[in-house]
Amino acid sequence: MINFLRRIINNFKEYFLVAVLSIISISLLSTNEKPAVKRIRTFAFGNFAFFNKILNYPLSFLKNDYSLKELEEENARLMLEINKLRNKGLENENLRSMLNFRDTSKIQLLYADVISKLVNKNQGNFIINRGSDDGVLIGMPVINDKGLIGIVVDTSKNFSVVRTLYNNNLNTAVTIERLNIDGVLSWNGNELIIKNIPSHYEIKVGDSVVTSDFSTIFPPHIPVGIVSKRESVPIGLLHHLSVKPFVDINAVDNLFVMKIVPSKQINKLEMNLLKK
Amino acid sequence: MLWNFIKSILLFIPLASVQLVVIPLVSIDAITPNLIIILICFFTLKNGQMYGTLLGFILGFIFDLISGGLLGAFMFSFTISGFISGYFFNENKIEINTATSEFIIIVFLSATINSFLFNLISSSYNEMNIFSLVLEGGILPGLYTAFFALPVIVFNTRKELR
Repeated sequence: MINFLRRIINNFKEYFLVAVLSIISISLLSTNEKPAVKRIRTFAFGNFAFFNKILNYPLSFLKNDYSLKELEEENARLMLEINKLRNKGLENENLRSMLNFRDTSKIQLLYADVISKLVNKNQGNFIINRGSDDGVLIGMPVINDKGLIGIVVDTSKNFSVVRTLYNNNLNTAVTIERLNIDGVLSWNGNELIIKNIPSHYEIKVGDSVVTSDFSTIFPPHIPVGIVSKRESVPIGLLHHLSVKPFVDINAVDNLFVMKIVPSKQINKLEMNLLKK
Repeated sequence: MLWNFIKSILLFIPLASVQLVVIPLVSIDAITPNLIIILICFFTLKNGQMYGTLLGFILGFIFDLISGGLLGAFMFSFTISGFISGYFFNENKIEINTATSEFIIIVFLSATINSFLFNLISSSYNEMNIFSLVLEGGILPGLYTAFFALPVIVFNTRKELR
């Protein structure tokens, strides 16, 4: 019996090996959010990013002009300011006076270079040259002068991983600005879509999409993109909307980390409400 | 055997860096060549199927960690790719397999399967249809990777002529 088993294992050892290794790989997929795995990953990407940084250095001369850094930062600030003002214009005066407690302090932007990218159809992410030593925290939104790029999902001392909008694990609460309709934006492997919007809303191609007040991971009114297509669902009561992002995410080389964690901001607002 | 593993891992480090820093610059609509697959195919065709499967597993694990991606996704797809390319291993045809157009075909096949499996795993929550999964998620990256394998056969043919 033992000899028979040994003969089988010897004859099919390649198949046994591939089966065992495949099972290990697939079971590891479910451990991605475990703290121990996160720690190992942080250590690995944090150290390897030094190689990427060295290789990225000569390329950065081809990719960007450092004299533009300050202008880009100013543009990003203005973009946020314009959207905040546009939204305020839509609110009535009484409501604004009631909402006077809202935090309007200047958001600090941290400039960062993209040093490596994982480009594929579903799992878009970047590694940037700013980490916890620069004050970057998990959950901080990432933008450039055109709009939203993604969110920080992992940080080491000097580097961070940014999950971009082109990642099917990132779902964002957004608002269609003109009509104030909320929805959830997600990446389907080919395009950004907002699903299940009731058909009676008169949404037009070209309508602007911004992050929603209801978002717990992004601050409100950051520009995301424009509606590029309206597609009806067979039942006919709902629509799916395709969204073209303002930012060409695969071409991004420089970006800004917004030094806020939105959930903390919400907590602060709730505290303000309690005080009133 | 151990030296072969060490050699391939030492080659993997700069190649992984190029894959993450330079290759995104030549991506076409998020379709990129995969240089790691070329490395796995090359060493598998020189050392056999068991070696290739194990090499795919190890390099996949390291690449998942350093790229900040989903741990297990590249591990699985590289393991299967190493296994598939190991089918073409023949001790008497090592030079033919690594220095002729056969190498391109093997790389194309392995890269297509790798890319397809990776997208299949990582797209479990979305609605990519099977046609786009096979074409955009498999064949096109496979073709692009095969194109990047051309310098390997040029280099190997020259080495043999000497």
